[in-house]
Amino acid sequence: MGGDYSPLAHGIGGRQDLPVPLETAIVAAVAALIVSFVVLAWTVRRHDASDEPMPVSPVRERPVPRVERLVDSTAWRVGLRTVGMLLFAYTVMVGVFGQDLEINPIFGIFYVWWWVGLVPFSLVFGPAWKAISPVRTINAGINVLRGDDRGLYEYDEKRFGYWPAAFGLLAFAWMELVYPHNSYLGPVRLWCAIYVAAMLIGGQLWGTRFYANADPFEVYSSLVARLSVWGRNAAGRLVVRSPLTNLDTTLRPHTGLVAVVSVLFGTIVFDSFRDSIPWLKFTQNNGFITSHSWAPYTVNNLALFVFPLAVAGFFCAGTMLTGVGDDLDRRRLPVLLAPAVVPIVAGYVVAHYMSYWWEGGQATLQQVSDPFSNGGNWFGTANLKINYFFAYHPTLLADLKVLSVVIGHVLGVISSHKRAIAVLPRKHMITGQIPLLVTMVGFTVGGLYLLFAA
Amino acid sequence: MRRLVAILAALLGMAGLLAGCGGSSSGSNTASKTKVIHITFSGSSVTPNGARVDVKVGQKVEFVVKADTAGQIHVHSSPEKQLDYNAGTTEIQVGSFAQPGLIEVESHALDKTIVQLQVQ
Repeated sequence: MGGDYSPLAHGIGGRQDLPVPLETAIVAAVAALIVSFVVLAWTVRRHDASDEPMPVSPVRERPVPRVERLVDSTAWRVGLRTVGMLLFAYTVMVGVFGQDLEINPIFGIFYVWWWVGLVPFSLVFGPAWKAISPVRTINAGINVLRGDDRGLYEYDEKRFGYWPAAFGLLAFAWMELVYPHNSYLGPVRLWCAIYVAAMLIGGQLWGTRFYANADPFEVYSSLVARLSVWGRNAAGRLVVRSPLTNLDTTLRPHTGLVAVVSVLFGTIVFDSFRDSIPWLKFTQNNGFITSHSWAPYTVNNLALFVFPLAVAGFFCAGTMLTGVGDDLDRRRLPVLLAPAVVPIVAGYVVAHYMSYWWEGGQATLQQVSDPFSNGGNWFGTANLKINYFFAYHPTLLADLKVLSVVIGHVLGVISSHKRAIAVLPRKHMITGQIPLLVTMVGFTVGGLYLLFAA
Repeated sequence: MRRLVAILAALLGMAGLLAGCGGSSSGSNTASKTKVIHITFSGSSVTPNGARVDVKVGQKVEFVVKADTAGQIHVHSSPEKQLDYNAGTTEIQVGSFAQPGLIEVESHALDKTIVQLQVQ
């Protein structure tokens, strides 16, 4: 397959995780189903109890003034920006002066630390990329020189929203999964250069709001960060909340959110699916594909677009089939309910990348010590022995993966239930949730199937 | 909410038990016999073509390659292995794998996955 030129696309040396055992996948799917119906039954009971409007439960959160003083201090902010700029400078250095070899750390930094590492850091610490983003820092620097920190134009959030980020995420997925020369220095360097240029020009034209909407990494990181325990209340104070409360209180429907979620889920599903036996047999045995040299690459390109479109299609159909009152436009429903899919996507991302992050992350730590591939040991990590814990504990890994998918599903279902209560008219409260529930169960079971089959 | 957590915990406990049973019963038979995989190249086609083969941890693997022209097979283990074969029949000792996982065996010239070794 096209992407397999890359030594990193599938973890170190290409050894991949064993499939999840069938029993584990089935038990998890049954668990997801049961939880879904328990939540639905819960709605029925609360619905029957009275005709009064559903009580909105108060937001439970705890202010953390000490942590707030620390993270809001200038020293902390400058410190994080410095870390971001040092990582940026190092990456530019290995990108420009490093050798075009597999052990150049730029590949690990690009595909593992940046893309995969974004998720655990944002889950644990909140919006991590926003805090260290070098493009934000450079933009702020240019603004100081210019003496004006506004963009030339207002960014039209209602109209464009997250759409630029959705295309940026698709561009990254194309690089990682489809482009055959993705493990060569030139293309990776070019991709990064285009990213930085687009971000700096965008920042100057539309101001800092551009980054919150158009930087694919910031949008991805900040989306995942809604599932962390860190949030800000209405007064701007730092608070600790449950991940679910955080998601429900902070993630507002946003133009392009459906696109971002569909691209993230669709491309990662494609990443799993392209290694499955049915897909290999199809692409390698199909007469038309094998007799035209351009066909395999084209099929991969098409699949990269078709998977996110299919995810978006299922989701829009599932939400729009819901019964609504006269005051609500059916076409608004996908956007209104999209935040509920975020935990399902996050759960699958964690499952998909868990062992890759562990092993690839360590391999990158090893490689960064030798930036110019000449046997250097700048940081003393060049001889680090990689710990293959997950490779030797495949049962534990399979259980953790499935657990992560199921937790994501449970959070998603509860979140969609709360949103449905807020959005749907009472007479459609129960029946209205069923198509959405079926869609979510479909995503989860599909994800579990791929963990089992690929 | 608490009930949900309890149901989940019970189900996942079951998952762990089932998976655990599956693992222990297959480990008793030691991997002494060499796994022989026959690979045939002819023109731009290869058989097997995207098949999955079970291999035990530590079991020796041998490829018996029949080919019309010489070429190279890539084994995406860690570290990666590149194995040359000649026109005619070549027997290649691939060795054994210490870590469980899924290992792709590919022909980069044909851009095809020949087999995936499922090392358990």
